[in-house]
Amino acid sequence: MTPERMAELVARWVRFYTRDLPVEIAQRRVEEIDADLHDHVAHERANGSGISNRRIALGILSRMVRGVAADAAWRGRQAKVSAHRSTLEGTMKTTRTLYRSAVRVGLGVALILSLPLVAMQMTDEAVWSLADFVLAGVLLTTIGIALELAVRKAGNLATAICLAALGVAAAVLGQADDAPGLVLLGLLLIASACALGVRTGQRSR
Amino acid sequence: MPRRKPGTLLPLETKILEVALSTLRSGQTTFHGFGLAQTMREQSGSRSLTAHGTLYKALSRLEEFGLLTSHWEDAEAAAERRPRRRLYELTGEGARVAERALAEKAVAPRSCAASEPT
Repeated sequence: MTPERMAELVARWVRFYTRDLPVEIAQRRVEEIDADLHDHVAHERANGSGISNRRIALGILSRMVRGVAADAAWRGRQAKVSAHRSTLEGTMKTTRTLYRSAVRVGLGVALILSLPLVAMQMTDEAVWSLADFVLAGVLLTTIGIALELAVRKAGNLATAICLAALGVAAAVLGQADDAPGLVLLGLLLIASACALGVRTGQRSR
Repeated sequence: MPRRKPGTLLPLETKILEVALSTLRSGQTTFHGFGLAQTMREQSGSRSLTAHGTLYKALSRLEEFGLLTSHWEDAEAAAERRPRRRLYELTGEGARVAERALAEKAVAPRSCAASEPT
């Protein structure tokens, strides 16, 4: 076997044990060994007077075989480090997502509660006490959190259909009982079901 | 390969630092993997070069410890039409550790000669 063929074999081994590692780490090792192999062959040919190609190839093979255990240990360590890094990134992503969900729910609740507040300034028909606002706030926050969880965790069509059914039922009951709050809740549930359906559709694409 | 005690260097890592220091003293600030293996072979009188895996694993550990830094060479590789080399350089801390290792070796030469790179 020629030194070049042997160098190719070593390069393949390097590509094998660097597979699935982060690109920059794998690329660095591959390039570094490529340069080493090139220098090795060039050096032996330039300085090893009369050294046969077979001997150079065996020298390269010997370096690869003696280093296999260290290669495996290096790979294990790199894999562990990158797994730890991706766990950290995952935690940061989850924190960011939770923060965004909380902001969305908070803004939604504030927006909905501002409607009766504004209405109270304009007409005497809407009279909400502080307890009404607190109760509605708690109710809306619970619904908001439930919806956020449904969208992030479940995210399937069945959940969307259930929400839509609940929303329609609430709206119909609200109209029958002349309860505008219940109608509003129903409409909110229907809107959430639509949003969930759209997101589920996007994810499945 | 010997098991590492916390806070200590393996014999190969110490050897690399010593070679890096002697390279620095000879006026060359950087060295590359094969050049290092070749120098270590010459110095030890061994017939074989340090294995790829052993050598580059040790280099990456020394870099992690802050005893070496590295960068890709720029234009020389393209000019010579060969793969670019990763060039290593001894840090200040690395030089101090290498000097200490050499001093210890001068005091007790037999204790350090026990381990050769694989």
